[in-house]
Amino acid sequence: MEEIAGNELAIEKREQAMLELADFDEVVRVYRPRILRFLLSSLTDRDAAESLTQECFLKAWSARHQFRGDSSLSTWLTRIAVNLMRDHLRSRSLRFWQKTRGASLDVMDISDWVPDGRGSPESLALARDRVAAVWRAVNDLSAQQRSVFVLRFVEELELEEIANTIGMNLSTVKSHLYRALAIIRERMGETK
Amino acid sequence: MKFRKDAAPNPEPDAREDVRAIAEALSLYRSAMHHLAEREAARPFVRDPRAHVLRLRMVLAPALTVALAVSVLVPAYSHFHHHRVASTVVANNTHLPASQINTSVDDTALMNQIDSELSEEVPDALQPLADLSDQTTSSTPVTEKKNVTKE
Repeated sequence: MEEIAGNELAIEKREQAMLELADFDEVVRVYRPRILRFLLSSLTDRDAAESLTQECFLKAWSARHQFRGDSSLSTWLTRIAVNLMRDHLRSRSLRFWQKTRGASLDVMDISDWVPDGRGSPESLALARDRVAAVWRAVNDLSAQQRSVFVLRFVEELELEEIANTIGMNLSTVKSHLYRALAIIRERMGETK
Repeated sequence: MKFRKDAAPNPEPDAREDVRAIAEALSLYRSAMHHLAEREAARPFVRDPRAHVLRLRMVLAPALTVALAVSVLVPAYSHFHHHRVASTVVANNTHLPASQINTSVDDTALMNQIDSELSEEVPDALQPLADLSDQTTSSTPVTEKKNVTKE
């Protein structure tokens, strides 16, 4: 009985995802901020994040008939974004002569967005320092560690979802996350 | 045991404080990234013209490098390749064995032999015609001589 119920639920989810995909304008409206946020957090480059977001939806539109609904629409789109980001980073690493970066985000851009509802100016300054420290530490992570970290702590995905999205084993995801947190913890300890 | 307790005070409060600080920092970071992404998503996307030039340059630079390399390397390679082939041919010819050089002589002898065989006597069936032609060729000078004497 449970198995039948599970199958019915999966079919229902699949149909819902297919229906959702039918209205592509709505898909872009709902998921664009999320994909942009993931790429912006991972690449820290506005132009690249924006270009790859557009490319992601273009690819999704082209491949919409191949979407079987096995995963959620969000996971599918994030997977496309992850693959595009990998290709982008690979091609960027080949351009060893190019040192300039298009429109990279500055640490001030990030720390200025700290919520202002803090008691004293000191605590606000401390909070900004902490965010800046996390930002710098995240920039020092490897591409895979950063992807896993962003998906876990910015997108708040479960570990299984991250493994499914990135196409890694669960144990590899855990390992990357553990190392990423260790580096961030270490860097934050240095800034204290 | 008592000494140990005094020497190493319980580290748990410090660790808890550390974890709390990191959790708070991560939460702030998430909040900052969400705000920033919302702002970027609301902003119309205008590509920096300098970025376009940079991208164009990045595409063109390798293409031009490859074209230049091909335009230099291919003629150079073909030149050296031809040079090497020509020198190999010359070297082979100069080192021909004597038996191979004699073949040209043998060929000439063979050709002469064939020519001589082809210009053999007339076959038996055509022998009468051959005799006739011999007679006409031999009589002509006689009549001519007669005409000359008459004059």
